[in-house]
Amino acid sequence: MRVKAISVGFGTLFGFLLCWGTFGQPDAIRRMLLLEDAYLYLMFASAVAVGAVGIRLVHRLRDAPLPQTKPERRHVVGAAIFGAGWAVSDACPGPIATQLGRGFGWSLCTAGGIVLGILLYFRREESAARSPGEFTLASRPASSSTVAASSSGTASLMASAPVASRRSSTGRADFE
Amino acid sequence: MHHFLNERPAWYFIGPAFGLIVVGVFATLNAQVGVLGGFSSIVERSTGRAQTLGWKAWFVLGIVLGGLAFGLLSGTWGSNDYGWVTRTFDGGWSVVAGLVLVGAGMLIGYGAKVARGCTSGNGLTGCSFGSPSSFVATGTFFATAVGLSFVIRALGGS
Repeated sequence: MRVKAISVGFGTLFGFLLCWGTFGQPDAIRRMLLLEDAYLYLMFASAVAVGAVGIRLVHRLRDAPLPQTKPERRHVVGAAIFGAGWAVSDACPGPIATQLGRGFGWSLCTAGGIVLGILLYFRREESAARSPGEFTLASRPASSSTVAASSSGTASLMASAPVASRRSSTGRADFE
Repeated sequence: MHHFLNERPAWYFIGPAFGLIVVGVFATLNAQVGVLGGFSSIVERSTGRAQTLGWKAWFVLGIVLGGLAFGLLSGTWGSNDYGWVTRTFDGGWSVVAGLVLVGAGMLIGYGAKVARGCTSGNGLTGCSFGSPSSFVATGTFFATAVGLSFVIRALGGS
């Protein structure tokens, strides 16, 4: 119950700020992606700067690995596909979720598309798992290594767990 | 209240606020913010791939509520406009607009699953964590989205 309350609380704040910053308005995102408005980039840089400092302060209080992952082909290919969808719709998952609450009728199409895309991913991954001779981008064996940098600064390689258990664990990288 | 919320806040307010949410979730839940993971959790639960809803599903529910609250408080609830897509394909072409938006959503959902994160997960959070894979993904989706936006404009997307 505590986790749900905290999650809904942070989510509500996040969604409200996304709307206030006009990130839920496709035309505003389009001006930012056409480099006519620097707001997105200034927001992003300052968010990461504050986030990076804060994460390290919290991390210092803990004796746990800081979740990090190595770049692989999937990060480039997946991000390029994602970026294409972002450019066409001028929306991404967070803003689309705000649009659902804000009564933007067309967001039912983009949200529905996200669900279909996720289902397509699982279908492909499950299909590849059934026929191990064929690897998809998502199932290549080399694509699942996680680098965990310990608090002492050393790094170790460890195989990541399957998707389901990785999601429920803490201290591991889950940036989805 | 209406006037207050219809002016977007300065970037140096909203950027750090997002950064603090990333830090707050790490401090309280020992987890990483990511919106796509919430959509995915709902899909996994509703298709029997998972037995429970993950915390990110509740986070996404909060985002929807945040959008609802903003819409009501700012007096901007409800819209039939979705940017260049619905302007370009209007009237009798609305079906095309819907198909384009569904297709774009599919690219977003599938691509973010492959890349293991979206703008919030790989972008805001992964970069804050200093994760190399997130730097690569973020650079790639920004470059792709900016480049394709110019292509769409050149092709007449208004």
